[in-house]
Amino acid sequence: MDLASVFYLGVTFGLFAILVGIVLRTYSKKRKETGEAPKYKMLDDD
Amino acid sequence: MEKPSYNTDIVRGFVNWSIIWGLVAVLVGVIVSLQMVNPDLNFPPYLTFGRLRPIHTNAGIYGWGVGFIFATFFYMAQRLCKTPIWSPKLAKFQLWFFNATIIASAVTLLMGFTTSKEYHEMEWPIDLMIIVLWVMFAINIIMTIIKRREEQMYISLWYMMAAIIGIAVLFVVNSAAVPAALFKSYSAYAGTNDANVHWWFGHNAVAMALTAPPLAMFYYFLPKSTGVPIYSHRLSIISFWSLIFMYLWTGAHHLLWTPVPDWVQTLAMAFSVMLIAPSWGSVINGYLSMNGQWHQMRDNYLVKFLILGLTFYGLQTLQGPMQSIRTFSAFIHYTDWVPGHIHMGTMGWVSMIGFACIYYLVPRIYGNEIFSIPLANLHFWLILIGQLIWSISMWVAGVLQAGMWNAMNPDGSLTYTFMETMVEMYPYWWARAIGGLIYLIGVLIFIYNLYMTVQKGKKSSSTLTEAEGRA
Repeated sequence: MDLASVFYLGVTFGLFAILVGIVLRTYSKKRKETGEAPKYKMLDDD
Repeated sequence: MEKPSYNTDIVRGFVNWSIIWGLVAVLVGVIVSLQMVNPDLNFPPYLTFGRLRPIHTNAGIYGWGVGFIFATFFYMAQRLCKTPIWSPKLAKFQLWFFNATIIASAVTLLMGFTTSKEYHEMEWPIDLMIIVLWVMFAINIIMTIIKRREEQMYISLWYMMAAIIGIAVLFVVNSAAVPAALFKSYSAYAGTNDANVHWWFGHNAVAMALTAPPLAMFYYFLPKSTGVPIYSHRLSIISFWSLIFMYLWTGAHHLLWTPVPDWVQTLAMAFSVMLIAPSWGSVINGYLSMNGQWHQMRDNYLVKFLILGLTFYGLQTLQGPMQSIRTFSAFIHYTDWVPGHIHMGTMGWVSMIGFACIYYLVPRIYGNEIFSIPLANLHFWLILIGQLIWSISMWVAGVLQAGMWNAMNPDGSLTYTFMETMVEMYPYWWARAIGGLIYLIGVLIFIYNLYMTVQKGKKSSSTLTEAEGRA
């Protein structure tokens, strides 16, 4: 495997890691309330 | 917090013009469908299928689709950010530049100037106009978001930003060309690279123009229409990031069985199948948002458009990945199945959401109640029936066509000539033309209803304030 392939593989795994991080952060228990808060503001008058 | 004075003039402008370009798109679509069944309806050199077809697609995507994206984004951004639009003057200039760009596109395409790249047919001067137009829009929306007075960003804003950045990157990269004359250029890429870049653009234009913006609208206008919040904001965030992560790898599924490297095709195929998850994340979120509210499918015409639109999105995002699998693609690619798929997305998903948004907006930006709810319901049923006839006839035609193309005699020769397969298509092409005509009648009723709303609609006390409060 050449250096370019290793780089691309690293970028791919890096992106997967970021996505997993976003999922874990979004669904962490301490962020439940703040994570759902914006949807209730949609009921405000336009 | 004191309610800011939102600009509704610009929303009115884009709503009106998007409807006009939408009518052009559907009208030309019906004409080209009739040209397919009766070649005598081609009038060379300008009014031939080859020149009118890109006008149909570009008027639909850039005139109607992007037109109502501009309208709804200006409406939503101000309210989600609790601040007026950053520059109303820039937005007003953008409206007129938008129309100039659409007209320049239509004229040059009619004259036969084309790059021959599907969904990116316009030559380089028009590309430059589109880039200027998009930069103006991007600056205005992004500055509005930066200046916002609302700390948390609702999911619609994420989709809006993705669309703005995504379309800019895709369009600029695919526009790279060497001009040879005022309306003639050569792509900066060669051979399979050109095809690969083009379908990276082509498929992701679907993502960033025809998926992310309608999702932004759906997440905004569904709770506004039903009066209940979406099921889960966190699920919408996960669906968003997964969609963004996966979509950009899928373009090469348009190039299965071509000289593009096998691994690129396999990558596109795998990511296309994975894309079912984020797409259905939004679909499930939408359906669960209707818990206890399903009666609104009977009572609320806006909800009908939104939920049926979402249903077509769900079907589209199952059918699309299925088509991206090599064996299935080998059977249906290049047949009439494919336009059936595309039109379920455009006539079903995107346009149903667009119609719902405009029905929601017009009473609020003009201060009049909708003229006739029965007419809005009639519009709904006509476009639903028209679209189903259109798509189903093409799926049946596509399977028949593929079967005939693949049929072989025991000695290995083809069972049918190409002409024999063409003749078999005529009944289905007639069905498609009739479906399009029914859809067109629905659109005309929609326009009549809106015209009467503006001209003779009853003043609404609840919406009057907003219409009068325009800047």
